Amino acid sequence: MASYSRAAQQWATFGRAWYLLDAKMQPPGKIAAATVIRLEGRHKPIYHALNDCGDHVVIINTKHIAFSGNKWEQKVYSSHTGYPGGFKQVTATQLHLKDPTAIVKLAVYRMLPKNLQRRTLMQRLHLFPEDVKDIEKNLLQEIPQPRAVPKRLDEYTPEEIAAFPKVWTPPKDFRRK
Amino acid sequence: MAAPGLLRGGLWRIFSGLLGSGRAAPPARTLRQVVEVTEGNTTTIEGRIIEDAEAPPPPNSSGQCPICRWNLKHKYDYVDVLLLSQFIRSDGGMLPRRVTGLCLEEHKKVAVCVQMAHRAGLLPNHRPPLPEGHVPKKPKLNRYLTRWPVRSAKPIWKRGPKWCKKPFPVGHPLLKDNIKYTQKPLCLNH
Repeated sequence: MASYSRAAQQWATFGRAWYLLDAKMQPPGKIAAATVIRLEGRHKPIYHALNDCGDHVVIINTKHIAFSGNKWEQKVYSSHTGYPGGFKQVTATQLHLKDPTAIVKLAVYRMLPKNLQRRTLMQRLHLFPEDVKDIEKNLLQEIPQPRAVPKRLDEYTPEEIAAFPKVWTPPKDFRRK
Repeated sequence: MAAPGLLRGGLWRIFSGLLGSGRAAPPARTLRQVVEVTEGNTTTIEGRIIEDAEAPPPPNSSGQCPICRWNLKHKYDYVDVLLLSQFIRSDGGMLPRRVTGLCLEEHKKVAVCVQMAHRAGLLPNHRPPLPEGHVPKKPKLNRYLTRWPVRSAKPIWKRGPKWCKKPFPVGHPLLKDNIKYTQKPLCLNH
């Protein structure tokens, strides 16, 4: 760019930025997909696997993620301690109640490329179960949420409810409970 | 007052009595708003029928059910709470088809969307009345597009190898014909 000095241009291109992502009412898979792109650095035109150009990502409200379908009951996270009889299986509900950040952490870990860089990139991921105060000073930008959160019925204004037409008219003798 | 609606209602009750239901239901009259007017030393208590405002004419008057008449055939989902709330009772249950006038397939689709909306927590005020003193448990987990009831779903302990994994059902197959505004195919099994 014409107006930047050489040093400023270098810092702006290669500096490591911090991004924020709000995981409230979002599916953890889509959250992980968006963070993995930023952690690897694939959102930058200077990306190369050897460049180490990834950024930091801060995910807040991981306690309020939303699974589609019945995955809270059906999805099972398995692990083995290495000792005989050490095969442990927990459902997503049990794991989330035990550790609210574990589901997002595992989702990101399993989506990252399976190389030695994975552990360093996981160190650049910061997970918080609830909202965190006073982190705006570090952050550059907020990543847009992957899923559009639907409005509840009591979040609609009375004008919007009145503007929506009645699709059917009840018969005269219908007693509405 | 031989209004056709009342006569229809009366004939239905006679018919069901002949079938042998045994219950003597009182004749149903419309809900009336009680209005008390005091003029001097005369008090008039009147029950006025609440007249709903004239509904605007539907775009496609030749449709058989309300969804077809308003051209909403494949265009609604669990998110459209303003539409779904017109077909439910105050405790969250569906209204009968003979009252709303929906055709069978649309009634089933609306029922499925209402179930998914309840499980997603989009209808917080349409809850069944609870006995006195019982505090309902607040749901700790957020969910959406749940096909099966929450307490009936069992964990899939072994999903199988990559080439034949047991999928997680998402959404409902009745809604697979909804129009999509993206090129991505609708995935009902994750």
